Amino acid sequence: MASSETNRLHPFSAVMATIQRGVVGLSMPFFLIGMLSGLTDAVDPVWSVYLAPIGLVVGVAYGLAYYYRFEYELTRDTFDLSSGVFSRRSREIPFGRIQNVDVRQGVVQQLLGVAVVTVETAGGGETEAQLNVVSEDEANRLRREIRRLTAAAAAERSAEEATNEHGRAGGDETADLEADATGSEAIDRELETGGEPTRLFELSARELLLYSFTSFSFAAVGGVLFLLFFANDAAFGILLSLAEPLGGPATLDSASPLEYGVFGLVSLFNGLAVTYLLSVVYAFLGYYGFQVGRAGDDLVYERGLLQRYSGSIPLEKVQSLTVSDNPLQRRIGYAGLWIETAGYGPDSSGGSQSAIPLARKRRVYGFAERLSGLERPSFRRPTTVARRRYLGRYSIVAGVVVAGAFGFSLVTALENWWLAAVVFLVVPPAAHLRWANLGYYVGDRNLVIRSGFWKRRTTVVPYYRLQTVSTRRSVFQRRLGLASLVVDTASSRTFFWATPTIYDLEYEVARELRETTRERLQSALRERAESSNSDDGGGGVSVAFT
Amino acid sequence: MEALHPRIRLLWIAQAALAAIVAGVALAVVDVRVASLPIAVPIGVVAIGAVLGIVYAVVLYRQWRFELQDDALYLERGVITFVETAVPFVRVQHVDTQFGPVERVLGLSSVVVYTAGSRNADVRVPGLTPDRARKLQNTLRELAVDSEADDGV
Repeated sequence: MASSETNRLHPFSAVMATIQRGVVGLSMPFFLIGMLSGLTDAVDPVWSVYLAPIGLVVGVAYGLAYYYRFEYELTRDTFDLSSGVFSRRSREIPFGRIQNVDVRQGVVQQLLGVAVVTVETAGGGETEAQLNVVSEDEANRLRREIRRLTAAAAAERSAEEATNEHGRAGGDETADLEADATGSEAIDRELETGGEPTRLFELSARELLLYSFTSFSFAAVGGVLFLLFFANDAAFGILLSLAEPLGGPATLDSASPLEYGVFGLVSLFNGLAVTYLLSVVYAFLGYYGFQVGRAGDDLVYERGLLQRYSGSIPLEKVQSLTVSDNPLQRRIGYAGLWIETAGYGPDSSGGSQSAIPLARKRRVYGFAERLSGLERPSFRRPTTVARRRYLGRYSIVAGVVVAGAFGFSLVTALENWWLAAVVFLVVPPAAHLRWANLGYYVGDRNLVIRSGFWKRRTTVVPYYRLQTVSTRRSVFQRRLGLASLVVDTASSRTFFWATPTIYDLEYEVARELRETTRERLQSALRERAESSNSDDGGGGVSVAFT
Repeated sequence: MEALHPRIRLLWIAQAALAAIVAGVALAVVDVRVASLPIAVPIGVVAIGAVLGIVYAVVLYRQWRFELQDDALYLERGVITFVETAVPFVRVQHVDTQFGPVERVLGLSSVVVYTAGSRNADVRVPGLTPDRARKLQNTLRELAVDSEADDGV
């Protein structure tokens, strides 16, 4: 059965902890004494020389103590973790509550054969358990064991429920037998496959390159800003030398307005090019060797070149699926698929994990359909009144731009401010594209919501996963008789990833849809209760792959 | 549909008045420290803020409605954006009653319903008498338990 001995981290973490804490211990006296000697003459700066070795010893001892006091254990039903030298913390995470398990390896960690394991549950602003670091074998064992024990716990739970049901009917013994059968069946199935996942998708070299070149990651913007901030002299030097042959200034201090203009324009272009290249490299490194497979009732994935990521997501914990594509990818008929859970992923993208970074659209939708039991959606669009609304909204934005140009012309030598009015030309196509990319589909088991032009997201929300359903009407929407429908699911989405919303429906339609989704949630709950009694797991996300 | 207790308007007006006064004081500081302003500016800001606050409170009170339906707690509220929300009982994680110092003086209490959602994850029903708040909390708790807590997480 479950291994019940307690475990420590890999000895390498002891080395790291001692070095880290030792350095802190060594430098602390210099810092404190330096500050105090500045305040009062009673403190002599020389003291720090005597105190530093003591600090080092205390730091090293603390690091070692931390290592020896950090223990984890897999019990029958929980993953236990206790840590802390002076203030102790013990944590028990029931297997049924685990959202996903992720394994991360940097370059050095790969060379040393160690990895960071994180265990996520729903809610909370941080990772619930982090093992930094364990050996690769141990990481794999943990992942396999957690999966096996989770399956066993689930089987036992449903068996218990069945026992209770039958108990009332007076058929105790048969139920027990049944329960045993289902419990061991799940484990047998697991042993049969030997923990080896069946591969569902592998990113080909062509798809990887297409993904790197057609997607844009915001991390690249951060990288460029970081470069500008910490190496601004060098960066400006390079930008100047790049702009000079095109009519830019020789130095930043003395230049004509025209030269500044040329410099600004050329640098903007260069900045965009560098950001794009960084984004390409980032995507390439992050998704190199991507593959996703299925092991038991979990999806398991693997990706990354320098930093290796791998992990498992229980299918039972999938909250919603999102197909995302940008205009470039749509043009070549490709799209990506993302899975949202209520835990936090290894990226900064909240609980969103990639299931397929990029593949042919047909393949992506096929995968999504098998995963969610979705039939082929036929999208409906909000009324054309919505398009009129966007026309008005974007006209206001364009008006603000023109007013800004006018204001700018008052304080500078800029003439012809009215040329800024060309932005009005963009307004009608922008309004149309925004409207044209909106859509929704009320399926049998899922609600499908689509919106966005630059990054179009088509989100599949199983009715079973709904938390709250709202209609929202702003003053402007009320004037036009429109409403937005917001369907909330349990997910830890970030700033960039908004709650699924169907924008600007006619109010009557929105209200009907709200009532429909409420009813479908109730019937999905009933269906699920029945199917768990008959013990075949059903629910929001089906596990019936082909 | 149930309305809130009329006294909640006093709470909202007090909040708006406080914000207006803070803005007025800030303007007075600007007047003394940075540049002299006509005396009408801070007074005008406070007056307009107070009037807007009163109108807002009255309209918001008229808009606020809630109801316990068969499967969900249903709420309607909002002045600028009017929001109608259904919180299914099955999704209720836990229910709080809360009151702040001003609410205590006014003899009012709020019920806060928590779900596992990301947005609108906590839904607040303000302006209830303490008795009504406790009763609502108990009812919600019973309904949540009856519906066999399945939070979909």
